[in-house]
Amino acid sequence: MARFFNSMRDGIGFDLILVGAAMVFLLALAGLPLVYNILMSFQQVDMFTLGDLFRPLAGLTNYVAVVNAPEFWLVTKNTLIFVFTSMAGQFVLGFSLALFFAQNFPGAATIRGLFLVSWVMPGLVVGAIWSWILAGDFGVLNTILKAMGIIEAPIFWKSDPNFSIWAVVIANIWLGLAFNMLLLSVGLAAIPRDLYEAAELDGANAFQRFWTITLPMMRSTIGAVLSLGLIGTLQQFDLFPALTEGGPANTSNVAGYWAWQMSFKLYDFAKGATISVMMFVLVLIASVVYVRSTRHEVRG
Amino acid sequence: MTRPYVPWFLLAIALTLAAVYLFPLYWMYVTSLKSGSEIFANPPTFWPVEPDLSIYPSVWFRRTMQTFMWNSVLIASGVTAITVLLGTGCAYVLARYRSGWIDFGLFMILMLQVLPASVMITPLFVGFNQLGLLNYPRTAVVLAAAAKAMPFFVVLVRATFMSVPRELEEAALVDGNSRIGAFFNIVLPLARNGILVCAILTFMSSFGEYIYSKSIIQNGAMQPASVGLSGFLGPNSSDWNSIMAYSAIYVTPILAVFVLLQRRIVSGLTSGALK
Amino acid sequence: MSAQIELSNIDKHYGAFHALKDVSLSIEKGSFVALVGPSGCGKSTLLRSIAGLETITSGTLKIAGQTMNGVPPRKRDVAMVFQSYALYPHMTVEENLTYSLRLHGVGKAEAKVKAAEVAATTGLSALLKRYPRELSGGQRQRVAMGRAIIRNPKAFLFDEPLSNLDAALRVHMRKEIRALHDRLGATSVYVTHDQIEAMTMADHVVVMRDGVIEQQGSPLELYDRPVSKFVAGFIGSPAMNFVPGTIGPDGMTVALEIAQSLSLPLARHQEPGRKVLVGLRPEHLVIGEPEQATLRLPVAVVESTGSMTFVTTSTEPEMTVVETRRTTVRPGDTIGVSIAPNQVHLFDPATEKAI
Repeated sequence: MARFFNSMRDGIGFDLILVGAAMVFLLALAGLPLVYNILMSFQQVDMFTLGDLFRPLAGLTNYVAVVNAPEFWLVTKNTLIFVFTSMAGQFVLGFSLALFFAQNFPGAATIRGLFLVSWVMPGLVVGAIWSWILAGDFGVLNTILKAMGIIEAPIFWKSDPNFSIWAVVIANIWLGLAFNMLLLSVGLAAIPRDLYEAAELDGANAFQRFWTITLPMMRSTIGAVLSLGLIGTLQQFDLFPALTEGGPANTSNVAGYWAWQMSFKLYDFAKGATISVMMFVLVLIASVVYVRSTRHEVRG
Repeated sequence: MTRPYVPWFLLAIALTLAAVYLFPLYWMYVTSLKSGSEIFANPPTFWPVEPDLSIYPSVWFRRTMQTFMWNSVLIASGVTAITVLLGTGCAYVLARYRSGWIDFGLFMILMLQVLPASVMITPLFVGFNQLGLLNYPRTAVVLAAAAKAMPFFVVLVRATFMSVPRELEEAALVDGNSRIGAFFNIVLPLARNGILVCAILTFMSSFGEYIYSKSIIQNGAMQPASVGLSGFLGPNSSDWNSIMAYSAIYVTPILAVFVLLQRRIVSGLTSGALK
Repeated sequence: MSAQIELSNIDKHYGAFHALKDVSLSIEKGSFVALVGPSGCGKSTLLRSIAGLETITSGTLKIAGQTMNGVPPRKRDVAMVFQSYALYPHMTVEENLTYSLRLHGVGKAEAKVKAAEVAATTGLSALLKRYPRELSGGQRQRVAMGRAIIRNPKAFLFDEPLSNLDAALRVHMRKEIRALHDRLGATSVYVTHDQIEAMTMADHVVVMRDGVIEQQGSPLELYDRPVSKFVAGFIGSPAMNFVPGTIGPDGMTVALEIAQSLSLPLARHQEPGRKVLVGLRPEHLVIGEPEQATLRLPVAVVESTGSMTFVTTSTEPEMTVVETRRTTVRPGDTIGVSIAPNQVHLFDPATEKAI
C-alpha cells in the first residue's frame, strides 16, 4: 500500500490515475454505448423490453428492415448530398477567405476572428435564424435574390421538396465555413515566406505559386480539414429540427436525423440503433482518413 | 510598400465580406426589434421602423426563459467541470509520454471525438433508462455531453501541455517536488491560459447542447434553452420576432464572451493540435 | 577521498534501444567530472539517471553511500543545471532561487537571506525582482547556477549548460563555473559534447560512445594516451590525422601509405610487417626543411588565423599540420614534416584500439 502511494506521488502511478479516470469515464459513456448500440441492432427492442439487457435476438432483421424501408435510398442520397456539398462549400469558401485574410492589411486577424462567431453559436439558434432568412413568403433571402434578378418567384426553401435539403446545406455551410477558414489560415501561416520569395525570384506568377507551393505545402492541413469537415457534417443534427425536421416527405432527411426519429419519434430503438451502426461505419472510414492525415502531429 | 492604398482597399473588402457573413446575426437582432406586422412587410425593412425592445421582457416571461437559461447554465457548468477535471490530467499524461500506448490512447480519443451524438443517443438513452438515470435527467445529460466534449478538450489541452518545456517539470522534480507538486506548482500554472480557453469553449458548446437534452429531459422545468427554443420552432413557425428575441437573449452572452476573448480563443485554437 | 557518486554496472533500455551498457563509474567527492561524447552516446541519459529523471534498468547507483535506485529526484539531494536553464517563467529570479528552499521547508526570511547571498556571488543582486523573460542569456545562465548552489547539494549536475551562449560568453562562463566549483568544494558532473569544455574544466574526463565508457582519466591522460581511435579523434582540436601504414622490417619504423619512401621512427618495438593506423596530431607535426624532414607532403590549402596556420595536404587521406610560427608555405609547395617518435600513435585497423 505504501508502495502504491509512493508511486502515486513520484512515479507512474500518478500518470495512471490521471489518464485512467478519464479513460474509464470515456469507456463507460462512449465505449460501452457503442458496443451496446451494436448489440441492440441485432435485438428486438420495443417499449416492453426497453429495460432488459437480454432481448430476443433478431438476427439481421433490423438491417433488412432498414434497407427495405421506402425512405432508405432517399435518405442515403440526401446524406451524400448533404455531406459532400456542405464539405465542398465550406472548404472552397473557407480556403478563399483564408487566402484573402493571409494578405497583409490592417485588422486582418481581428476581422477574421469575427467570422468565428458562427462557430460558437448554438446550432439550434443558427437553424432558427436561417429558418427565418429562408422563409418562403417573407424570408429576406428571396427578397435579395429577387432584387438581384436571380429569381422571379420566391423559392419555398424549406417546404419545396426540390430545395429542402439545400436549405440545410446553406445553413451548414455558413456554420462550418469559419472553422475551415481558421484551420486553413493556420496552415497558410506555417508556410515559410522565403519559399514564396524564392519562387518569385524563380519567375513563378501568383497562380503558379499557389499551385506549386501553397497547395503542396498545405497537403496535410487540407487532409485534416476535409476529414474534420466530413466528421463535423456527419455530426450535424441541430439544423434539421430547426429548419425542416427532415421533411417534406423525408426530402431533407439524413441518416443522423433519421436514426433519431426512429428512436425518439417512433420509439423503434432497434432500427434507430441499426441506422446508427451503419452511420458509425461511415464515420469510422472518415476518422481513419483523419487520423492518417494528422499522424505526423500525433507523433510530432 | 510602393502602393500604400492596397491594404486599405483590402480592408474595405474584408469589412464587406464580414458584413455579408455576419448578416444573419444582424438579421436576428433587427427582426427581434420589429413589430409583429413589420416582420411580414414586403419588401422587408432593413432597419426597424419603430424599434421596440418590449418584446425582450415579454418573451423572457412568456417563454419562462429564466428556467431554461438556468438549466442551460447548470448543464454547461456540469459538463465543463467534468471535462476540465478529468480531461486536464488525461491531456497532461498524453502530452508527457511518447510510446505505442500513448499513440493508442490518442487514437481512441480521436475516434471518440468523431462519434456523432445522433449515433450515441439511442444506446445512451436505453442504457440510462436501465440504470435509472433518466430520473435525474439533467445529470444524465451532463454525463453524456461531457463524454462528447472531452475528446476535443483533451486534444487541445494536450497541445498546450506540449508547449510547456519538459525541462521545467524536471527542474521542479530535482528541486524537491513530488510528481503531484510539480504538476500543480509548475506545469498547471504554465498551461493555465490554454486550459482556460478550452474550458470556455467547452462551456460555450455545451451551453448550446440540444440533442441529448431534447431526447433525455422530458420535464419542461429541467430543459435547457435550446429545447425551449425548439418548442416554438418548426417548419411552419411564424412568430419570428419572438423567436429572434429568444435567440438573441440566448446567444448574446456567448457572443459577448467570444468577442471579448476572441484573440485568446483564436490563438488558443491555432496553437493547438488543429494545426 | 570517498566516492560521492558510485555507479556500478548500470544498464538502461528504452524499449529495444540499449542506451547505457554496463556503465561503472566512481566520482570522487570534490571532483569535477566531465561526461563527453557525440550526441546519442548516452552521456545525458547517464546524468539524468543520476538525477533520478530516468530509471535505470539494472545496476546500482549510490550517492554519498546510499543506494538511490528507485528513489525519486526530490530525495536525492542533487541539483541540476539544464541546457535550457529551465527557469520557471512565472516566478521572479528570487522566487526561482528560493523555490527549492521553500519546498524543503526553509522559512521565508531565511530563504531571502540565502537568495541575497547567492545573488551576490553570482552577480544577480540587481535582478532579483525580474522575471526570466527580462534577462539576457548570460543572466539566465547565472540564475540557473544560483538555483543550484543555493541548496548546497550533494552533487551538481550540468547538462550542456553553456551550449546556448555565444562563443565569448561560453569561454568566460567556463572559468566561472570552475571557480565556483572550487570555492564551494562541490562535486560536479558536467555533460558536454564539446571536448574543449571537458578538457579545460574537468579533473576527470569520461568519454562515452554508444552507451559505453570508452575511456576515462585526466584530460592529459586522454590526450597523451588515447586507448582507441575514437578517443584520439574526439579529444584534441584540430582533430588527429589518421593514415594507414605498415610497420617496417626492423619493427622500429612505420611506413605511411601516403609517403612510401619515408618512414617514421617509433618509440617502441612493433611486430614487423603489421598493418596499422597511424595517428598524428596536427600540432605535433613540425614543419622543417624538406631535406631533413621525415615526411614530404604536398600542400593543398593554407589557412591562417593569425596566431596559427593550418596547412592541409593534398594527400589521400588528407592531413592537417598546425604551424604556430609565421610561414611562407603556399598551396602547391612540398613541405618537410617531422614528428617525435613518442608522439606517433598506432591503432589496430580492425579493432581501432591503440597498440
